[in-house]
Order: sequence, then C-alpha cells, then structure tokens
Amino acid sequence: MIGNYPSVVVRVIGTLLGPFIMMFGVYIIAHGHYGPGGGFAGGVFIAVGAILPRLTLPESIAYQLFPRALGPLAAGIGMLLFLLIGVAPLLVGEAFLDYAAFDIPGMEPARMRYLGILIAEVAIGAAVFGSMLTIFDVLTEEVRR
Amino acid sequence: MIIPLDIIVFVVLIVTAVLALSTKDLLAAVALLAAYSLFTAILFAGMAAVDVAIVEAALGAGLTGILFIAAIMATTRRSNPRLEVRRRYVVTPLIVAVLGLLLYASSGLPDRGDPDAPAQQGVSVEYLARSKDDTNTPNVVTSLLADYRSLDTLGETLVILTAAMSSMLVLLRRTGDEDEPAIPSGGGTAGEGPDPDPDGQVGR
Repeated sequence: MIGNYPSVVVRVIGTLLGPFIMMFGVYIIAHGHYGPGGGFAGGVFIAVGAILPRLTLPESIAYQLFPRALGPLAAGIGMLLFLLIGVAPLLVGEAFLDYAAFDIPGMEPARMRYLGILIAEVAIGAAVFGSMLTIFDVLTEEVRR
Repeated sequence: MIIPLDIIVFVVLIVTAVLALSTKDLLAAVALLAAYSLFTAILFAGMAAVDVAIVEAALGAGLTGILFIAAIMATTRRSNPRLEVRRRYVVTPLIVAVLGLLLYASSGLPDRGDPDAPAQQGVSVEYLARSKDDTNTPNVVTSLLADYRSLDTLGETLVILTAAMSSMLVLLRRTGDEDEPAIPSGGGTAGEGPDPDPDGQVGR
C-alpha cells in the first residue's frame, strides 16, 4: 500500500485531492478565530495532505514533495515558536504566554492577543503536522524497505 | 428531534465498539474504530461542540486510522486473543462492576445544558463574557484554548511532540552497515557472547 498504488484512478484522485485538503487545513488554522477549528485540526488536515502522496504516488515523487526531514523540522520549529512567544513576555517582566505584554504603539491589547492567538495556532499547527508526519514516516520505515 | 438522533448514535457507537473488540481481523477493527470516531464527532456536533467534533473527525476518523493501518502493515493483520476461560471469569465481573460504578456515578451528573452545573459556574462565565473584549475573538473556544488556557495547550503540543520523538526513538533503527550484523544476534547469541571472550583471554 505504501508507494506506487496500482490503480490510476486512485493515483489521480489522490494527487488532485492532496492540495485541497492542505488548503482546507490552512483555512481551518487561519479561520480559527471565527469558526470551528484551530491549530490541532488544521495541522492534522495538512498532515493528511502530505501523507496522501506517500500512500498513492511513487516513492521518488512523494518523498521529493514532502521530504523525510520535513516532519521533525516542522514539529521542532512549531514547538520552538510556541515556546518563544511564551518566553518573550518574561523578558519585559510580564506573565508567561501573555501575548499583550509588549507596548507596540497603535495596537491595543486585544489586537495584540488576537495576533498572539494566530501565531500560537500556526505554531500548534506546525507542531502537530510535523509530529503526525514523523509518526507516519517512522511507522512505515520498515514496510518501505 | 435531537434526542432520537442521540439514541441512534449511541446505539451505533456501542455496536461498532463491540464489533471492533470482537473481530479477529485488525484491519476491519480499524475501519470500525474510524466509524466509531465519526459517530462520536456527530455526537459532539449534536452537542454544539463543533471544535471538538472537527478534531475528532480529522484525528479519530482520519489520521489515527492511517497510523493504525501503517502499524498493522509493519506487524501482523490477525489478532490472536488467548484469553483463558478461567481468566474470563475474573475479567467479566470486573467490567460489569466498573460499568455499574460509572452508571451509578453518572446519575449524579448534572443534566446537559443545565445552567446551574458546576462547569457553567466558575471562570467560564468570565471567559464567555470577556473573550470578545479581551482578544477580539468571536470564537470563545479558540481564545480559551490559545490565550486563557494557553499553558494547557502548550502542554498538549508537548505531549504530541513527545509522542513523535519517542516513536522515532523506539522504532527507528540505525541503518549503519557495521551495526547491521550486530542487531540480529540477539537473545541466545548474546548470552553466548561473553563465554568465548574469557576463553580467548585464557588462550592468550
């Protein structure tokens, strides 16, 4: 099942659907302020969009689109980003993860928190995407060989 | 109209759970678990918990199934539960006892949507009232998860990252050429390993 799937229909549909699933994931992350969803669900959708080529397409193409190193990289960067926006307020003497700690002229605290939530959701999405992709890659490592 | 839907969903949930537990084919069990998650998502959506429903549908019905199938392909497709008859006499009363305890405890829970429930009394009132002014975010769930309770979310993200890292640590074998012969010589060979060494030293 991993690798080049024999049916042309499955390959074509998988190739067509992948980008749209990932786009839906990005929408869920970006639209979390107004609708259902957020970093977790969006990250999972993006991970599914990256796993779909691995299930259907030939190995050379699938692992060129989303390389093996992408999973741990995205997970690490996402987690680091989340930790950074958590630690940054400590530098100016405010509480951990208080997004409205900095005084940026022209920005009220509510707006700062709004943007802080967006950054946090993007960071969570990256971490979840990377973690799920890593788990899938690790599990299928034996099968591919 | 909501209540009959709930009853149908609960019946389907119980049936799929029992079928998933009883089937010997693990692939079928994974498909049944995905159906279980999908109906759980419908149940959550019926309770107006859309955020939870979308996570359950994406994670439970979608990605977990893929991961389970990947794990099945790496291992075996058949389960062989060797539950002895004598052990079944212990397990079944235990399950019934826990079920009875849970049912007894659920009689003390507040009704769904009860405004006097403890969950509606504490800080959640403040969160609901102030979310729009504090964070400009109409979706209270998002502002709750990512701002008011962001420390919990940080912990959850850490848990997922830890899961990924530990799966790498456990499952990823080193592909070095020199390590390759050393790995298969486990078990009995490793026990015999120390014996030739003293012999060799004596010989020298």
